[in-house]
Amino acid sequence: MNDMRIVERTVSTETAKMTARGVQVYYDENHALKDVDADILANTVTAFIGPSGCGKSTFLRCLNRMNDTVSVARVVGEIKLDGEDIYDKRVDPVTLRARVGMVFQKPNPFPKSIYDNVAYGPKIHGLTRNKAEMDEIVETSLRKAALWNEVKDRLNAPGTGLSGGQQQRLCIARAVATSPEVLLMDEPCSALDPIATAQVEELIDELRAHFSVVIVTHSMQQAARVSQRTAFFHMGHLVEYGETGQIFTNPKDPRTESYITGRIG
Amino acid sequence: MTDTATPGPARQMHGSLYEQSSLMKRRNSAETRFRTYGILAVVVALLTLAIMLFTIFRDGVSAFRQTTVAFPVEITETVVDKKGTRNRDDMAKVTTVGYGKLLAAGLLAEIQARGIDTAGMSEKDITNMLSKDGPAQLRDQVLADTSLVGQTIDVKIYTNGRIDGYIKGRVTRETAERDSNVTPAQLDLADRLRDAGILSTGFNMGFLTNPDASDTRPEAAGLGVAIIGSLYLMALVLIFTLPVGVAASIYLEEFAPKNRITDLIEVNISNLAAVPSIVFGILGLAIFINFGGLPQSSALVGALVISLMTLPTIIIATRSAIRAVPPSIRDAALGIGASKMQTVFHHVLPLAAPGILTGTILGLASALGETAPLLLVGMVAFVTNYPAGPFDGGVMDPATALPVQVYSWASRADPAFLERSSGAIIVLLVFLVIMNAAAILLRRRFERRW
Repeated sequence: MNDMRIVERTVSTETAKMTARGVQVYYDENHALKDVDADILANTVTAFIGPSGCGKSTFLRCLNRMNDTVSVARVVGEIKLDGEDIYDKRVDPVTLRARVGMVFQKPNPFPKSIYDNVAYGPKIHGLTRNKAEMDEIVETSLRKAALWNEVKDRLNAPGTGLSGGQQQRLCIARAVATSPEVLLMDEPCSALDPIATAQVEELIDELRAHFSVVIVTHSMQQAARVSQRTAFFHMGHLVEYGETGQIFTNPKDPRTESYITGRIG
Repeated sequence: MTDTATPGPARQMHGSLYEQSSLMKRRNSAETRFRTYGILAVVVALLTLAIMLFTIFRDGVSAFRQTTVAFPVEITETVVDKKGTRNRDDMAKVTTVGYGKLLAAGLLAEIQARGIDTAGMSEKDITNMLSKDGPAQLRDQVLADTSLVGQTIDVKIYTNGRIDGYIKGRVTRETAERDSNVTPAQLDLADRLRDAGILSTGFNMGFLTNPDASDTRPEAAGLGVAIIGSLYLMALVLIFTLPVGVAASIYLEEFAPKNRITDLIEVNISNLAAVPSIVFGILGLAIFINFGGLPQSSALVGALVISLMTLPTIIIATRSAIRAVPPSIRDAALGIGASKMQTVFHHVLPLAAPGILTGTILGLASALGETAPLLLVGMVAFVTNYPAGPFDGGVMDPATALPVQVYSWASRADPAFLERSSGAIIVLLVFLVIMNAAAILLRRRFERRW
């Protein structure tokens, strides 16, 4: 595990951007997430790790109410964004998702031009008044996603024509374009080759300056590389949550230790 | 690691690669047999299709050719416009009998002028060779252009169905002997007229434009009303079914909660697609005509009934097209804060459009061939007047449709109608091929990959 560059990273802030208390998720009869308490800190990369089916993606999808699209899913408990309950009746999930963006496992650009992919979010949220402003948003978003130099000459080419890594960065640019406060990433690198993965990881670290980033990953090395805080999920429980360095070097729970050393999972 | 150490069951596989075991032989011959059955099935299907097309074209192609007699006719003012006012309303009172006399005089004069032998034939024998529809054609021509009165014009008049049949080889002297409508002498005269260049056969435009004609004048019967009726039907069915079908599919696929009620709706839609079409006809008769008071035989009622039948087809096609859009696209749109509605209309629908279009066109194509329900709502009527234009209430006028015209001609006695019936099938098939080709082209054109 030479590439586990675990360094003692100082977490620049301790303010909680999102707080979850007693979150339970049921898919029909299946109790998928059991009593999860967690704080997502501002300007921090938080990694969720754990074996398949442990509930980490489920918890991620609770944070921007993407679970609403699953008809059998039921969420109990309290999740707050800046002190406001996102499951409150008055909350429109559409507004929430503009503030809590999401990047998915498989790159899923719209079958439209690169420009339109990035411009779609700002357009539907009415963030711009004219073409010039839109051009600017598209450019800054693509720059933040480290894609601008590769695509600036072919913004009208279809987004689906890019390589896998470029597509995923396009999806990140698309999510960034609406200026979210939290960016959720569900295994963003699992469909990418090592080079593209490295690019995206570098990107995640840069994005931390602007947002809270939550990343679900199967790769412990990746969690160790990119995150400041790590949460370990197992069988629907949040087993351990703390500073990445501490989780990987000095886990408190025996289950965490077994997982990290490769004995379960 | 010696061979003897290998455990039992695998041992028989260890023969030479060049020799087939008996099990292998059985498996291979089973495969060969299956392939043969498959090829046979395909051959049978193709053969059936070929036979069907062959018989249709053998019987029907002649409907696109029509025998006519060309001769000059003097439009005598004293016959067609007794008052000499050139007033159309007055002239319209003159019946076709008057025009018939003009035609007869014209034909006899021409025969005499050419010195064609008519020995043993009465004048009536000769003039009966013209279609009974001829005077009506001439009358329409004169009423359309009153300046023709007093002039001598060249006309081309259909021969009657028997003479037409003789020229096309359907009627022979033997059948003419037994036929009260035609005599061998008339056939001989037809030959002489043809040699003189008066009688000729050419493309039958009237078959595509004329309205239906009565039992005694098959030569004048055409598909004009049926084609207009079918076009009205298709347009109306499209207008009725596409918005409703797409809206229903989107709601069921994207918005409806999955519960007992939607399950029930789903099952019923599938069942609706399997209901025999005649049942829809009865429903249409009871609801749209008897209860709703809409005019019978109209394209509107026919379209409503066919819409009921096409709707489930379109809903099923549209739903599968919507379902084929990858969920990742929906996630992507929802993930950046698009509303459900925006997700559907900006992303799902454009991607599903080729599938929806194809399904709709195929649904329309099957609606085009639908006959049974139209019989019940009266579209099988004998209609000789063109419906009005689509914006002048034409959809409320009596009309027929292509498949119904095929049916009604096929049930008439005169063999000349059989020829027209097959001809109408050819026209119907051409329409269907065009629609299916359009479906394929649209699918190719708009297909997107992701």
